[in-house]
Amino acid sequence: MLRLIRTESFKLSRKLKSWLGPQLILVLVLIAFPLSIDISQYDLDKFYFSIIVISLMMTAFISTEGMFEEDFEDGSLEQEFLLEQDFYKIVLSKMLIYVFFIGIPIALIGSLFLITNGADFDDLPKVFSILCLSNILLFNLFSFGNALSIDKGAMLGVLTSLPLALPVIILLGRAVRTIQYGEGFFSIIILMSGISLIVLAIMPIVISAALKTHID
Amino acid sequence: MQLISAQNISYSINEKKLFHNLSFNVNTGEGLYIKGSNGSGKSTLLRIILGITLPSKGKIHFCNEDLAISYLGHKNAIKSYLSPIQNLELIFNQSGRALAFEWLHKLGLKNVQDELTGNLSFGQQKKLALIRVLASSPKMIVLDEPFVGLDYATNNLLNNFLEEKLREDMSIIFTSHIQPTFECKTLEIER
Repeated sequence: MLRLIRTESFKLSRKLKSWLGPQLILVLVLIAFPLSIDISQYDLDKFYFSIIVISLMMTAFISTEGMFEEDFEDGSLEQEFLLEQDFYKIVLSKMLIYVFFIGIPIALIGSLFLITNGADFDDLPKVFSILCLSNILLFNLFSFGNALSIDKGAMLGVLTSLPLALPVIILLGRAVRTIQYGEGFFSIIILMSGISLIVLAIMPIVISAALKTHID
Repeated sequence: MQLISAQNISYSINEKKLFHNLSFNVNTGEGLYIKGSNGSGKSTLLRIILGITLPSKGKIHFCNEDLAISYLGHKNAIKSYLSPIQNLELIFNQSGRALAFEWLHKLGLKNVQDELTGNLSFGQQKKLALIRVLASSPKMIVLDEPFVGLDYATNNLLNNFLEEKLREDMSIIFTSHIQPTFECKTLEIER
């Protein structure tokens, strides 16, 4: 597992476009949005969070597009399939590295933008933690879609998995309200942590099964 | 010692038979040269041997479940955005690296070892993929068209290397349209 994590982190760190691109897109969207409306008419801190949530979802969507595609195309996935008895470990290590390299930075960017747009600075850890957890869920869901249609262009599968992200958005909406009204935050964070753990345990197995059918 | 025993292997795609009732054994230190026309199912047979693809009928029996196999298919499994050295570092541990770098020198890739692999020619990329397989010291090597894209000198070097490995009790299964210069069993697939 350590070998896989080391390999995946080395590979992703060399693909500047793959990890820096989504972060730049998120920054551009979050800067462009307040510029495109007359912000004096609105309480930006109230609804800016929704913009962050949707932007985050789209960024996760873009980030996962190439997660398995390149390895599938160049035959690396086939090689790993032969080398590694537990194929899900490959998926899990990729997932962890993508969350670490892209998910956590975009959660941090989102949190910082929310603070700069009027949210309470004390809420920063709360916002950051729910965005991190939602990224774990979103990355898993979209990479499942990616794995489903890897031989037909990964984007198609990611698009079909988009509706699966709606419950995550609803959950995030609930989490936002708990932050804004200052109550019930811990119950929602425990719920999200539990769901994230279950998804992290199950999804790599499901994704590896989907990938295996394409390698065969 | 017998490593692999295949009995009555058949494979069909959409009711169309690719090959039918193929049986063969591979022993330690033995080479199996699979030949046949384009589309006869040579690569599919290799993938069946490796367990990537399931046969329509028949069974492959591995005498040792933990048999270390290296495989080079049509895809090179090489990262174009990394240098040859970095590509090898991804695969090999410290002990394997020395041997891999020695091969880099033998196959004339030393002078391009720090360039981006994507900028190398097809033949150079093929050589790099071969190093990955040859330097991993497995008990068995499975190669799909290993001689394609190689120059005359490298073809000879590869033939000599495979012959040497057979003498060292490694088993080799390969497909090719080019007749190997060393002695090995031949399995012809007819459509």
